[in-house]
Amino acid sequence: MEKDYCPYLSDDRHEENDVNTGDRIGNGTDWKLAEREKELKCIYSISAVVRDKDITVKEAMKRIVDLIPLAWRYPEITCARILFDDQEVVTRNFRETLWKQAGEIRYGDEVKGSIEVYYLQERESMGDGPFLAEESNLIETIAEMVGTYLEKRRIHQDLRDLERKPQADKQDWEVILDLLIKTDPRGSLRITRRMIYHLYRIHNEEITNVINGICTLDENEADSEWCGINIPNPREDIATLEEVQKKVFMIAKRSLSPQEITDLFNTWLMADKARTLLLMSQRRGVSLLDISRELNHFWDLDEDSRSLAPEDDVTIRTALIRHFFTGKLRYVNVAKNYMTLENFVTLLRNIVGPSQGEGKLGGKVSGIFLAEKIIEKEKGRFEELRDIRFPKSWYLTTDTMLSLIHYNDLDEISHIKYMDPNEIRQEQPFLEQIFKNSLFPPDILGGLRGILRDLGNRPIIVRSSSLLEDSFGAAFSGKYKSLFLVNDGTEEERLSALINAITEVYASTFAPEPIAYRKERGLLDFFEEMGILIQEVVGKRIGDYFIPAFAGVAFSNNEFRWSPRIRREDGIIRMVAGLGTRAVDRVGNDYPVLVSPNRPEIQVNTLVDETVQYSQHNMDVINLKKGRLETVPTLEFLRQNWDDYPMIDRIVSIHRDDMLTPVVGILHDARDEDMVITFSKLIGDKRFIPQIKRLLSILKEKMGNPVDIEFAHDGDALYILQCRPQSHAIEMERVPIPKNIPQDRKLFSAGKYVTTSHIENIEYVVYVDPAAYETLEEREMIYSVAQAVGALNRALPKRKFILMGPGRWGSRGDIKLGVPITYNDINNTALLIEIARIKGGYQPELSFGTHFFQDLVEADIHYLPLYPDEPENLFNDEMFRIAPNHLGELLPKYAGLEDVIKVVDLSEISRGGTLSVVMDGEANSALAYMRPPDHWLWRMRKVEEIAASMDVDLYGVKGIYVIGSTKEGTAGPESDIDIIVHQVEDEEKRDALLSRLIGWDEKMCQENLDRTGVEMERILDVHIVTDDDIANKTSWATHIDSPYNPARKISLSDQ
Amino acid sequence: MAEKGFNAFKMAQEQFDRIAEKLELDGGTRDLLRTPLREYHFSIPVRMDDGSIKVFKGFRIQHNDARGPCKGGIRFHPQETADTVRALSMWMTWKCSVVNIPLGGGKGGVICDPHNLSQREQEAVCRGWVRQISKNVGPNEDVPAPDVMTNGQHMLWMLDEYETISGGRYPGFITGKPVGHGGSLGRTEATGYGVIFSLREACKGADLELSNTTASVQGFGNVGQYAIELYTKYGGKVVCVSCWDQGDSKAHSFFKEDGVDLKELRSITDRFGSINKVKAGELGYDVLSGDAWLKQDVDILIPAALENAITGDNVANINEGVKIIVEGANGPTTPEADEILFNRGIVVIPDFLANAGGVACSYFEQVQSNTNYYWPKDEVIGKLDDKMTEAFYSVMDISKRRNISMRDAAYMIAISRVAEACRLRGWV
Repeated sequence: MEKDYCPYLSDDRHEENDVNTGDRIGNGTDWKLAEREKELKCIYSISAVVRDKDITVKEAMKRIVDLIPLAWRYPEITCARILFDDQEVVTRNFRETLWKQAGEIRYGDEVKGSIEVYYLQERESMGDGPFLAEESNLIETIAEMVGTYLEKRRIHQDLRDLERKPQADKQDWEVILDLLIKTDPRGSLRITRRMIYHLYRIHNEEITNVINGICTLDENEADSEWCGINIPNPREDIATLEEVQKKVFMIAKRSLSPQEITDLFNTWLMADKARTLLLMSQRRGVSLLDISRELNHFWDLDEDSRSLAPEDDVTIRTALIRHFFTGKLRYVNVAKNYMTLENFVTLLRNIVGPSQGEGKLGGKVSGIFLAEKIIEKEKGRFEELRDIRFPKSWYLTTDTMLSLIHYNDLDEISHIKYMDPNEIRQEQPFLEQIFKNSLFPPDILGGLRGILRDLGNRPIIVRSSSLLEDSFGAAFSGKYKSLFLVNDGTEEERLSALINAITEVYASTFAPEPIAYRKERGLLDFFEEMGILIQEVVGKRIGDYFIPAFAGVAFSNNEFRWSPRIRREDGIIRMVAGLGTRAVDRVGNDYPVLVSPNRPEIQVNTLVDETVQYSQHNMDVINLKKGRLETVPTLEFLRQNWDDYPMIDRIVSIHRDDMLTPVVGILHDARDEDMVITFSKLIGDKRFIPQIKRLLSILKEKMGNPVDIEFAHDGDALYILQCRPQSHAIEMERVPIPKNIPQDRKLFSAGKYVTTSHIENIEYVVYVDPAAYETLEEREMIYSVAQAVGALNRALPKRKFILMGPGRWGSRGDIKLGVPITYNDINNTALLIEIARIKGGYQPELSFGTHFFQDLVEADIHYLPLYPDEPENLFNDEMFRIAPNHLGELLPKYAGLEDVIKVVDLSEISRGGTLSVVMDGEANSALAYMRPPDHWLWRMRKVEEIAASMDVDLYGVKGIYVIGSTKEGTAGPESDIDIIVHQVEDEEKRDALLSRLIGWDEKMCQENLDRTGVEMERILDVHIVTDDDIANKTSWATHIDSPYNPARKISLSDQ
Repeated sequence: MAEKGFNAFKMAQEQFDRIAEKLELDGGTRDLLRTPLREYHFSIPVRMDDGSIKVFKGFRIQHNDARGPCKGGIRFHPQETADTVRALSMWMTWKCSVVNIPLGGGKGGVICDPHNLSQREQEAVCRGWVRQISKNVGPNEDVPAPDVMTNGQHMLWMLDEYETISGGRYPGFITGKPVGHGGSLGRTEATGYGVIFSLREACKGADLELSNTTASVQGFGNVGQYAIELYTKYGGKVVCVSCWDQGDSKAHSFFKEDGVDLKELRSITDRFGSINKVKAGELGYDVLSGDAWLKQDVDILIPAALENAITGDNVANINEGVKIIVEGANGPTTPEADEILFNRGIVVIPDFLANAGGVACSYFEQVQSNTNYYWPKDEVIGKLDDKMTEAFYSVMDISKRRNISMRDAAYMIAISRVAEACRLRGWV
């Protein structure tokens, strides 16, 4: 468009022309025409001013007042004034004179102000004094324009002022209400409802009557009666509601000051800004994208507009907590006090998932995120928490895995969990490869790239965070994988490594162990989804390695007390130098440092030798050069990296002259010294221990249950990597003491220093009789008891027996106090029991396993002290007395010790049962009781009995195999027993065998009826196979050596 | 309360009675020597970390100081019995006597479990012990040393308390102090070297050229390693070493026909004395079972690890060529095996003679502390050699003359020296 043709362009030239035009007009060539032009121009200019929403009313008025004189005949002697709302604006040259013209400004049928024009000098009279008649019309027009403008602006202003600073504004709230009723009836009803609640809250009686009025069926009927009738309430038409509305606000007007009402309106109108967010949060199946959009939209509002009514705020937050974390009330109740909307805005920036998905973040993320928010909030109260940090983290929603599965048509894998365990085992490596070779949908890929860009080249850890990990109190920790990534190389290389790790974690959902575990707990049918937590690894680069200075885990409850002076609730820390992997897992032959945060001075190992022996020999490090996790010898590593290793003086002690001394300044060049990881200076430095202590106590208090945290320290700050309820740790799962065990099945009970554990399927008890041990007179005899225990430890099945003995196991000095065994003599037991019998009114002090405490901890052998002479405890002496002793049979060499050592086969005294020991640290109570055999075990034992007593020559039996539910361990009270009998090809023998088996069958049916009350006609399902069958792999013979699911062979009687 | 069952003191007394019988000691001397001279039992109040007061039982038993100030360790043990300590104090008397150092026997301790005590509380126990007994101990009365669950740190606390009470510096009050804080050089080597000094002399007596002998050693700890060091230095050849493997939780024997190389083995040993069996294999060692060390065709066996290593059960496995067994460990041979070995004509250098290098070195530490002048290591080792050699010959002499075992001979010498001192003092 050419500029010249545009009449409204206001470039310099144009304006110059205008001015010139004016001049010419002023010179009076055709002034009438010129006057009309001036009038029009004035109206245009004013209408431009009133259209401008960016200026204030006053500014508009100022501009208008300056425009007015220009339209009059003698602009140079004209001045003007606008009066409005008790305000006035005037032209610069204004003064009142005799020559005046005025127009009224009206709006809302009222005169609200006026526009006045004065001539400063006298001029000839033109009709309306010195003014033109046209000028009189013009002033009316301008006044009308201004009136309309002011009216419009005033309403807007009312609203806006209300929104902005309610207390400052004292305008009539009714205007707003009217406006609302006209423009947004639903909104007005919301306000009405809120006013009703408000009036209720301040106990306004009138409002009760109004509301009752709505519900009344019949004016004469009492309101309380109809409410009980099972008919629908009548519907009121909208007119009634309007009536109610009016009444409500009349009441409000009577009982509240205008300021109060305005304030309320202000709050409610503001709250409406979050309405879409609120509505969205209440809907189900909202996608990640929608949540993100709404939340960000709301968050992008300016700060004042973001304020929310407390009830809306909590509604939105709880909805978001349910959406992303869990609906478990316990969690929501805690989380809603700590998670703010802003937290979710930030959280969302770090979530990757299918944009249309609605996945959660899984158990691990729920734990750590809540812990972070709790610590953030409590920082102000507790100095110790101030420099606690949390590593940078990214999250993949649980449905990301599903999207991968759908995207790659892998949907059939969800049936894997129902497959036979052997098949799952076979399938697993293949499945893992399938996962690894799958493609992520493009949106996820983009997200993963974003993660890598954000995290840079720092090493990362990919952790599982599944739904089951936070559900059902199940101890899922450690069942799924956590993988370290060096995260080095080009972006493509790093991406492919990240995908490799994520898919491996996904595949672990289908691994045999977690599936077996779920099967045991009845969680198989749960639809497990796997979220992923990607964290940067906390640490520092040291040469080619990347490690934290130290790391470990801390528990609220100490389930491995090494001294009666340590209470269970004092907690425990397990820590190591380098990556925390060695503290999290038990590696068996290496030892983390154990500390009681409440009693750090009570050490596990007090002797120098012990401290050195039970110290950390190896450490886990990330080798950046080789791109993998490595285990290196601690001493060598520390010596090589002495100068670079952060906090080394607080981690190691110098071992010299049978003493452990801290590293003190220049006195030592530790590279020449023997060093031991003791953390002694760290423990003593009054920083770290109080930090952990406070963390444990705050998290336990706020989360409402004992917690288990994982931490790492990079030399600068302490980071929390994980936090979960302690009961979720695998060994910490609390099993309550069963209540209704008949007295004759109980073996012993305990009520002091009990730690939480649960031991099942114990087949043997090795019992060193305290009284008999006491009477041994010769040193050699005492040592032979120790040797016999060692021999039994090797002879009995591992972890299927428990050891019970007097006083202190492993006593060295005074061997009368306990059997002088070494750890090696007891390392196969499932439980180590020390019996403290009162002697001469004095109860001996027990060792708590201190002689090899850390060996026990690392091998997960539990310890239990028994005080049988305390009245509340039970000890079944009788059982130990009458049970047959198998010592001589097992170890003929030690038969002479049968008075002292008893080996009890528990299946003998309980008809095939086993021993269960339930130890509940929470209740400080333990019980050992005989458990009858499981259905499958009873069946298995029966088949074994049949096989053992069968005359194999007579029946030509070559082998007996068990398949089906008995073999799988899934048999119930009604299951039959599938057995395959390999027999010679002989009709006669077959008939003889079958009739023999029928006899067995009848007996077993009877026994099963006695045991379970289930009546069965037959229980044995016999399949006979011959040599030919086996050779040809026909029918049942295929089971015998099936590679997938081989039958279990039962040993036959000696031939 | 009548003690039933095994009683260490009863056993020590029986052992004494047997030797006293052989020595034909008079009744008064027997009565004096079969019980301790003095016993102190006292209470040690300690303010615990939580502010409460706990009272510990402390004691010191001085068995006999006819030959010089009592010497013996301080034990922290949760269920110590007086009888055990009595027995141990008696054994200390004999041990000092057999190596002919001018010290008597004592033992003491506190009933406590250091596992339940913080460092500060342990320090308070140490200082409390000294406060209660300071009048009855000292460089000229009774000299404590580390024992079960005590170490150099405990000794320094006790020394500091003693010196504070006594108003002076008396480093000779206690032994087992770290080097540089009143400790003696050579203590690490003392026991292992002492074993070989006895062995060296035993070889002479048995007409063996030490440099032509072979040996098999059980244990690769402090004693084992220094015994091998000195033995090899003398030209002997150790063909087999057994040691405990922390990882496998069992012992292995490492065999090398041409003799083990100590330096090589140390380089593949962790600080607990576990030899890395994989690396040993690479270096040409045969890794055999834990008890293979006993079966080797060698001249000398050095059990330097465990009690009851040679028993009635395995004594028959000892090769016919074995001529000398030198007991580096405490009580490695059971009485049953001892008798069989004696009948087989194998010389057994008994533990309390063979491993007395430790107590001898403690004596040297005390002497150095008392004079406040510390000897170079060579001087310590040289003096140790003299003591051990002299002690060996006295025992050897009696053993040959009376055709009794070295063990009995050692006891006889030890007891008769103490009895003689008592007589000369006019006590009996």
